Amino acid sequence: MSDMNPAVALPGGARATLRRNFWRGVWRVLKRKPSRMAGAIIVLGFAFMGVFGPLLYPDQLPRDDNALYAPPSWAHPFGTDFEGTDVLALVVTGAQYVLLTGLVTAVITIVLGTGVGLFAGFRRGRWDSVLMRITDMKLTIPGLPLLLVLSTIWKFSSAWEMGLVLGLLGWGGVARAVRSQTLSLRERGFIEAARGLGLSTTHIIGRELLPSMAPFIAMNMLIAVTGAVYAQVGLFFLGVLPFEANNWGVMLNLAVFGGGALTTTAALPYLMAPLLAILLLTLGIVLVVDAMDEIFNPRLREE
Amino acid sequence: MAVSVETSAETPVEPMPESAPKTAPGVRVGGLSVVYKTPAGELPAIAGIDLELRPGTITGVVGESGSGKSTLALSLLNAVQPPGRIAAGSVEIDGLGDVVGLRGEELRKARGRHIGYVFQAAQNSLNPLKTVGKQLLDLGRSHGVSDLRALVREAKELLGRMGLDGARVLDSHQHELSGGMRQRVGIMLALVLNAHLVVLDEPTTALDMITQATILRIIREVHEERGLTTMVITHDLGVVAEVADRLAVMYGGRVVEQGPTHEVLATPRHPYTRGLLGAIPRLVGDIDEARALPGRPPTLGTVPREGCVFRERCALRMDVCETVEPPTVADGPRLVACHAVEAGGAVREESA
Amino acid sequence: MTVIARRLAGHLARGLVMVLVVTSISFVIIRNIPGDPIAARYEKLIEQGMSPEQAERATAVLYGFMPKGNLWQQYLDYMSGLFRLDLGESLMTPGAQVTDVLFEATKWTVLPVLVGTLLSFLIGIMMGVYAAIKRSGRLGDILAVSGSLLHGIPQYVLALLLGALFTTLIPILPSGGTADIMFEPGFNLGYIGSLIEHAALPVLTYALASYGGWILAMKSSVVTVLGDDFILAAELRGMKRSIVFRYIARNAILPLFTILALSLGLLFGGAIFIERIFNYPGLGLMLIDSITNRDFALMGGAFLLITIAIIVANIVADMLYTVIDPRVRSGEEAGR
Repeated sequence: MSDMNPAVALPGGARATLRRNFWRGVWRVLKRKPSRMAGAIIVLGFAFMGVFGPLLYPDQLPRDDNALYAPPSWAHPFGTDFEGTDVLALVVTGAQYVLLTGLVTAVITIVLGTGVGLFAGFRRGRWDSVLMRITDMKLTIPGLPLLLVLSTIWKFSSAWEMGLVLGLLGWGGVARAVRSQTLSLRERGFIEAARGLGLSTTHIIGRELLPSMAPFIAMNMLIAVTGAVYAQVGLFFLGVLPFEANNWGVMLNLAVFGGGALTTTAALPYLMAPLLAILLLTLGIVLVVDAMDEIFNPRLREE
Repeated sequence: MAVSVETSAETPVEPMPESAPKTAPGVRVGGLSVVYKTPAGELPAIAGIDLELRPGTITGVVGESGSGKSTLALSLLNAVQPPGRIAAGSVEIDGLGDVVGLRGEELRKARGRHIGYVFQAAQNSLNPLKTVGKQLLDLGRSHGVSDLRALVREAKELLGRMGLDGARVLDSHQHELSGGMRQRVGIMLALVLNAHLVVLDEPTTALDMITQATILRIIREVHEERGLTTMVITHDLGVVAEVADRLAVMYGGRVVEQGPTHEVLATPRHPYTRGLLGAIPRLVGDIDEARALPGRPPTLGTVPREGCVFRERCALRMDVCETVEPPTVADGPRLVACHAVEAGGAVREESA
Repeated sequence: MTVIARRLAGHLARGLVMVLVVTSISFVIIRNIPGDPIAARYEKLIEQGMSPEQAERATAVLYGFMPKGNLWQQYLDYMSGLFRLDLGESLMTPGAQVTDVLFEATKWTVLPVLVGTLLSFLIGIMMGVYAAIKRSGRLGDILAVSGSLLHGIPQYVLALLLGALFTTLIPILPSGGTADIMFEPGFNLGYIGSLIEHAALPVLTYALASYGGWILAMKSSVVTVLGDDFILAAELRGMKRSIVFRYIARNAILPLFTILALSLGLLFGGAIFIERIFNYPGLGLMLIDSITNRDFALMGGAFLLITIAIIVANIVADMLYTVIDPRVRSGEEAGR
């Protein structure tokens, strides 16, 4: 059994077959445990909510002054908030900001982290030690306090800005992991073998190294999405950022510190709705990561 | 091997029965089969092995990786690791009885006390966090040794016997010892409880040539001094030629040929043994004479289910080899399992 | 010994750089606050009738440096103040030194964090061993899955759920503060009981939030060690099960001590959510209050202290490793 990646110098046709087999493998792994299917459906459901959620409701959500903090009912499955707005509608429309931030963060985290990690692992030597020193330092600065302190001068008003900041703060872990992956591929003679075949550096990185790390990177990307979702919802929840747009963190803040959800039951549904959304998203992503683990880790697959 | 959470209640250790053999025990392996559980069902790693270790001899077991030799070695301690299990057969050891039937505490006490096991030197067979001396004491306590001072004295003596500074070694951690030193520590731990059956698994693999020679000399000397029955597992024919009185050649989970070492090496009968010897390049002589066997050794999944396991690579293949497993047939002091050999000395002429 | 000294020196050097980075961030932020509150404060004091010198001094006390002159001078003033452990005065509690305010708050962070983390560490590693040994069984599966779920849920979600459960739905625990005001602080039964009652939810949240991580870490560590050669070797030498178990446990727990020390450091920063939710007056709440109240001296101080906690934790973790792992002690590279 060889640890080498099968992608080394495969002709195009073989690559296509590999891809087809891959998707068939994905399907098989999903089918084997119903929980994984559920995970995939949950994640797809949230993606749908993020893209189309705001289109389902009018720009200005209707208020009902006669039903402030209304208990759950058919019309309002999670009750209403302090203004009489439907909580479910708030969760659905708030998803866009939350998920968009998560996506932007994940992309930045992955691109920066992979870039730095690959570069450090590939070049080794001085570049490596300098980059890793910086990464270590970055990992030592407490992220959340730093975000709080930064919030005094920067308001992160759009989802893009928020994602940018979180991404810039979050690439350290991925860089470390990618670097050690690169080094271990290198140790196995992977890079030298490719060099020996006369392949260029871009080719080695682009066609050989990256594909062999793709599963690992994809998994980290999903994890980065959850991390970003937690971080920004948390920031809004703490109430240090101005409430520009409707999102889950704002809802949590208003429910706890405005509605007193930790002392009276009236605001409890208002609190629970965004919490459930976060829990469901976490569950979905955990299940999908579990499935990916099996797809990409042949050792687990064989049992 | 699974270790359960509950730390076994300290059963009072009865003084070891003095029936512990003071002399070299004989070992008779009979019809031994070990299977491994895989997604494709239970596959045999070794099948129907008959082998005798005569008291006071060194038996070498040679085979390529995957031939089942390590499984055989572990079977002698009834220590086949899951997902493997001993499916059939017996391992009779003088003074112990059938090891395959031993369970729990009985089995644990037999290990170390009656049977010493020496790991490959490159493997880390010592707890990295404890000094050798502390692990020696753990070993003593495990086997109810009452006089631990005497145990330490004995250990120092053994280490000194093997050319090491006993006191210093006992005070060292694993990482402070070289491969050759570790191997000698392993031999010491296998012998210090006075075990008279010793199994060495690849004792010189991954050691440099000089250390290899030293370890082999030590094995031979200690074996004679203490009157042991020794089994040496190796893939290296040179090692066997150096130390073993008797030799068993394994292939595909079977012993295909066994007999006195010098005889087997001088006039190999089984085509696999012949191939194995032919594959060794000599320092003196034509490199072209060193001929590798064609093909590859079988793995668990590719061992033929019926017929001779070696037929795919065999130059003397006959029709009967496809369907009938060759019986082991005595040929003088030697046992060979080959249809061609059985059919009559055609071997010599045909393989030019 | 020299190995330890060298490692310690390296850590201290890196720690110093970190402190410089963090304090510089604080300085830059204080200088760049929208609307220049320093200048505004200064002008306000002048309007209130102070002389320019008086106003300057009063402002300096609040921000840690003179708001005048060139930027480098201000920076140096700020830094030299820090190294004299003079962080200025807090705006929120007039007249109080920032260092004293921080010290008071640290007390309320350290105790619950320590108790909660140690609790979850002990339970987590025991469950982790069990999950590793029974890894092919149903119970092991359940332990591992519950571990990854708990590990995956963010701390504040856990805190909110526990809060909603125990203060709103089944109101058996107080929802905030450190103790009821009806009790006289001191060593009396009522006060201590009230302290414990109030700390229950924060401690429980810390414990549950980190418990999952311990299970997962210990499980994978035990599984790794179980596959190590020396465990099989010990069994083949006929070592007692209790001794083999000790070999496994000690080797498996080793890398976790490092994580333990690190996580204690990180929890200083992570306490923010829990302290905010349960209104517990520790460092985290202090940091948030200082930000919402624009108390920048206090903010800079809290940020610095949280960072120092992490640096110290790093050093402790590394030293711990050096002490318990003989391989590092003798100068070899750590890890297998």
